[in-house]
Amino acid sequence: MTTQPVSYESAVERLEEIIKRLDTGEAGLRETLDLCREGRELIEYSAGELDAVGKGLEELKLDELIERLEGAAQ
Amino acid sequence: MTSDPLTTGADARPAGIDGYPGPFPVGRYAAGLRERLREFAHVCVLGEASGVRFGRGPNVYFELRDGDGGIPCAMWRDDFDRSGLTEQDFRDGVEVVAAGGCDYYPGGATASPRFSFRVKQLKLAGEGDLLVQLEQLRRRLAEEGLFERQKLLARPALPKRIGVVTAETGAARRDFLAGLERRGWHGTIVWGYAPVQDRRAAGAIARAIQDLAVVGEVETIVVTRGGGSIADLWAFCDETLCRTVALLPVPVISAVGHHVDRTLIDDVAAICCSTPTHAAEAAVAVDCALARGLLLDHARRVDKRGRAAVLDRARALAALSRAPRDRVAAHRTHLHQKAREMRAASRRWLALRRDNQRRMAAQDIDRKREAAAATVVTGRARLNARAAALTRAADALEARRREALRSHGAAIRGHDPERALERGYAIALGPDGTPLGSAAAVREARDFELRMADGRVPARVREEEGE
Repeated sequence: MTTQPVSYESAVERLEEIIKRLDTGEAGLRETLDLCREGRELIEYSAGELDAVGKGLEELKLDELIERLEGAAQ
Repeated sequence: MTSDPLTTGADARPAGIDGYPGPFPVGRYAAGLRERLREFAHVCVLGEASGVRFGRGPNVYFELRDGDGGIPCAMWRDDFDRSGLTEQDFRDGVEVVAAGGCDYYPGGATASPRFSFRVKQLKLAGEGDLLVQLEQLRRRLAEEGLFERQKLLARPALPKRIGVVTAETGAARRDFLAGLERRGWHGTIVWGYAPVQDRRAAGAIARAIQDLAVVGEVETIVVTRGGGSIADLWAFCDETLCRTVALLPVPVISAVGHHVDRTLIDDVAAICCSTPTHAAEAAVAVDCALARGLLLDHARRVDKRGRAAVLDRARALAALSRAPRDRVAAHRTHLHQKAREMRAASRRWLALRRDNQRRMAAQDIDRKREAAAATVVTGRARLNARAAALTRAADALEARRREALRSHGAAIRGHDPERALERGYAIALGPDGTPLGSAAAVREARDFELRMADGRVPARVREEEGE
């Protein structure tokens, strides 16, 4: 059972743990498959986080952000 | 009428000098002088400290000077400690304001008298004063634990939205953006523009920080501006601003001034950076381009390990399915191997036996050869003995034969005509050399030779004899 990572760095940290465990070759088949599934989920999450800060720099003034948030609330 | 402490007790003394009261005992005069000096009004004086000495005694000694003159000063160590200054703050060359009044130490029989300005309170003047106030505030905030609160907050390595408090125009803004660009970060920046120049800006800065913190989704706040004097940066030492930052639930990164400047917000912030560029790198700890490459590598490794795990098990299963056949084959191979080993062992045994037989036969032949050789030696010795006997017998026989031959020779020589010739007889020889045995033969031959022992003599039968 995997849990959703709370941050990019915790996702990468867990991913490195998984790869380290897989690299030992000591994991059984069931554990290996579970780790691979969790690893793929973490990779998707991490890639999503990187994509979120890779689409293009957006610059907002504080007032503009407040207006936008207020508009969304109404 | 009050008596002058300087001139009382002048009775019963040696004669003085005309025109001058006295003579007075100097110790009493010195004590009176001290009292008189202490009556001078207490004032503040401004000057530059020099010759500052922190000894082991109860006083701190120094001089205060300016371009027109100076006075020696003394200050009780307790009073100095209460002033909030440290030995590091108070050193030669600093400009100070000293409050106190004149004092005089009358000395004694062996101690030298000394005039000094007894300083009761002391503070640095000008910029030095600001720094002292700053240090005092820094110590107070530190004692309240406000430097630690921000540092305990979790900071996202890859924030999607960063709030920045800085001047709308300025190099800090540009440098911060350049730092983010180097990280490959292209998220959202929310600018909380505020004046950052003088001490009155502190309120606007604090409001901008608070607004960014409450507006939502801002994961990290950066407060930055370029370098300047301590007076320029004073807004960032404001107590209210620093307390606001310390209590903020969002991590604040400060990058105020250059690396030599140390404002109070640097102490309360989660991270203190020397430049706006460093602040950008601290705000986004992840190098995005590098992270993408690393993530790709991780993805490949996870995929490879997953496939390998399944393949390894499949191979293991295939190996297990082949196990019975392989087992028989292994046994067969083992059996063949044993048979080959037995054959080889048998050959080795036969060869060994043949070698033994050869060795034994050779030893037998050697023994026989040695026996035959011994027989030959014995036979040869016996033969030699017999040969020696034969030789001896042959020698004896030859000796006997030689003796017989010699006697036969002697006998024969007794009948030899030659011996008769030697005794003076002659033999008549015919023309052909044959002896003429009779007178008739001599007559018939007519010409003949007479052979004597020492030569031959031709002879002829006389004619009348022949006719």
